[in-house]
Amino acid sequence: MKSKIIHNAISALGATVILGLLSPAWAASCPVKGGTLIWGHSETTQNLYTHQTGTISTMRILQNIHDGLVTTDKNLNIIPELAESYVVSKDGMSYTFKLRDGVKFHDGSDMTSADVKYSFEKVMDPDTGAVNKPVFNSVGSIETPDNLTVIIKMDKINAPFLGRLAALGAGAIIPEGSAETQGTMPVGAGPFKFVRREIGNEVELERFDDYWNGPACIERLIAREVTEPTVRLTGLRTGEMHLINDIPADRIDEIKADKNLEVLSWSHGVFDFVNLNYKFEPFQDQRVRLAVDYIIDKEVLLQGALWGQGKTAASPGFSSSASYNKDLTQRPQDIAKAKALLKEAGYGPGDLKVVFKATTNYPYHVEAAQILVEWFREAGVELTIEQLTWADWLGQVWVDKDFQMSMMNFNSIWEEDFLYYSLYNSTGGFNYRGINDPVIDELTEKARVTIDDAARADIYKEVQQRVFDKVHDIVVWHRNSSFGAQKSVGGLDTLVNADGATYHFHKVWLKE
Amino acid sequence: MAYFIQRLLSMAVTLFLISIITFTVTNILPGDVAMMIMGTQSNPAALANLRESLGLNDPLIYQYGRWIFGMLTGDWGNSLLFKQPIGPILLQKMTASALIVLLSMTIALTLAIPLGVWSAVYKNRWQDTAGSSVSILGVSLPDFFWGIMLILLFARALGWFPSSGFVHPNEDFLLALKHAFLPSLALGLGLMAHLTRMTRATMTGILSQEFIRVARAKGLAEKTVIWQYGLANAIGPVMTVAGLQMGYLFGSIIVMESLFNYTGMGWLTYQALLNRDMPLIQATVFIIAAVVMLVNLLVDLLYPIFDPRIELK
Repeated sequence: MKSKIIHNAISALGATVILGLLSPAWAASCPVKGGTLIWGHSETTQNLYTHQTGTISTMRILQNIHDGLVTTDKNLNIIPELAESYVVSKDGMSYTFKLRDGVKFHDGSDMTSADVKYSFEKVMDPDTGAVNKPVFNSVGSIETPDNLTVIIKMDKINAPFLGRLAALGAGAIIPEGSAETQGTMPVGAGPFKFVRREIGNEVELERFDDYWNGPACIERLIAREVTEPTVRLTGLRTGEMHLINDIPADRIDEIKADKNLEVLSWSHGVFDFVNLNYKFEPFQDQRVRLAVDYIIDKEVLLQGALWGQGKTAASPGFSSSASYNKDLTQRPQDIAKAKALLKEAGYGPGDLKVVFKATTNYPYHVEAAQILVEWFREAGVELTIEQLTWADWLGQVWVDKDFQMSMMNFNSIWEEDFLYYSLYNSTGGFNYRGINDPVIDELTEKARVTIDDAARADIYKEVQQRVFDKVHDIVVWHRNSSFGAQKSVGGLDTLVNADGATYHFHKVWLKE
Repeated sequence: MAYFIQRLLSMAVTLFLISIITFTVTNILPGDVAMMIMGTQSNPAALANLRESLGLNDPLIYQYGRWIFGMLTGDWGNSLLFKQPIGPILLQKMTASALIVLLSMTIALTLAIPLGVWSAVYKNRWQDTAGSSVSILGVSLPDFFWGIMLILLFARALGWFPSSGFVHPNEDFLLALKHAFLPSLALGLGLMAHLTRMTRATMTGILSQEFIRVARAKGLAEKTVIWQYGLANAIGPVMTVAGLQMGYLFGSIIVMESLFNYTGMGWLTYQALLNRDMPLIQATVFIIAAVVMLVNLLVDLLYPIFDPRIELK
């Protein structure tokens, strides 16, 4: 996506205006129009009401149905989408959005400020059960002085607010009064209209000709829900599907070898880390945590558990974002050092026994744990693996925090507050390791009231450094995601969103 | 008629008990649907909020009461996971399952009865050995093996049938059959093996009986003896087994469903359980139990037609 950020005269009045300018050439580039694209989707879509759904699998569909006031460019800078421009007051206490004129919803109605107010208030309403309700915690009021202006007044500063609106879970704009039916019949202002869904079978979308940003290239998108990777691969190779997502790491070469097919891989969006629970006494000692880090050879782990389909990394952040701390490098494997550290902490060979809870939902986590066992044994630590189903893992590790060591991955969380505050602040919603670090608490709170983007990015760099120094977690890699496609599919470079996890079919086209 | 009513009443009692057991057991399982919906996007506050809005905080007895009342008034409720009314989902998945269950049974019976009769007639001769070998092969190899082989041959190599997916018969009946054919064939081969052995066993027993010898002595054509006298007497037990298998197939063909990405009742039940979607678990288990019982009832009702000596009491 290209857009120009213009700081114009209004900044002189104590505010910053950001305008998104669309060049008509960009909006009109479809080498071929029409056709039905069949996508073999790896997961089952659930509740289709965007505000209520937390799963990325469903969001992949909804991303094509909805737009938000703002979105991001490739480097995760916030840019206007349904808003034509926006102003953030200098004190960070109010956001004024000027809406695009003539934006239509799929039901034919015009988007107005009333729809925006309605959408956000629905997320704020406890009865909605919105996953992203906390995004609006500091919102005081939403005012609509005219049809195309929305002013959001904050009770207290929340600098990450705009960034959170750029994700559809919180930011999707739906027509007034449509919340009740969104779950079965989602209606939005995005490039595709929802046609139908057969649960567990397929979802059909149709091009929305009145899309404000120009109609999509393809006429129809059918997302077949095929959860078995082998079935997806067969579907691609028999030509029943145009493209499939999520190819198992060990099967990628098979597709690459097929002259009719191509593979698209990217390594942003999903990171995996090894978790140490602070409730488990030995891990309260930094020397023990450090020893664990030295026990793990990340590169070998990547090759062994993930067939090398990823990149080792020391930070969970998006390498494309301005806040990514590029100076961090992972600690190398050093069993002797690990042993020395453990001894210093009072654990001789055989003294420390650790249980590793891995979920079978991510088979490569189980494989990684199996590789760790031998290294731990060399370092004099007895590691036993407990395999859990997804429900059990969520219950025991995530909710009850009943574990010693585990592993998890996160995808699509690029917004820094969502990522670092949730994971590392002592009150963070994703802090299942029980991390309680006053320095991180202070930094993450400070970021929330730091309006200046560059200054905020620097704070998050410090947070990454601190997490690394204190070994609060051991980030191992950023996993590759991949697509396999027929050569007849064009515009693949536009398919993957900046979040690395959702797809946008607006500019994807079929050669025949 | 009295027999029929009595059977229906006992069915109702059984279903009621099943619903209570399902409800209790699922509530003992760790985790709930709110947790599964939110996954790793959840935090304690949002989770509590979602639980409240889904009605999961209501007392269990109240939740159960709400469900059973809904059921009795024809409202199956909403799936918490999919946020859709359960009725239409069930109907769609039942249609999908019924299609392959019926098709695989047709394939199985069409092949099994002649093969079984043939084996029995040529008992202990090479024809019998050949027939038995075929059925042993069918029983020994798991149906997913057939599934994979059929996909490789008919979808990958020849391209005659699609490798996966389900099309609703209302949309395009021929296409629906085409999609259902490979999974049905894979299932049918395994079933056929069972039924062939069953037919052979009962048929062998019948053919050695007095009345068959009498029929032959009367000078009846061998064809008439075997098919009209022999098979007519042997078919009852075969139908009973086929009926039991059919009920069983509805909920248990999850492997075949995932192999062909043909989502039916097995898939739906698995999803419901996996995600702790209580209303959906209740509905799927209830429906599968009801189908098993209905098919068995149907077989019992058909019994007097195959064998007039049997009277239903």
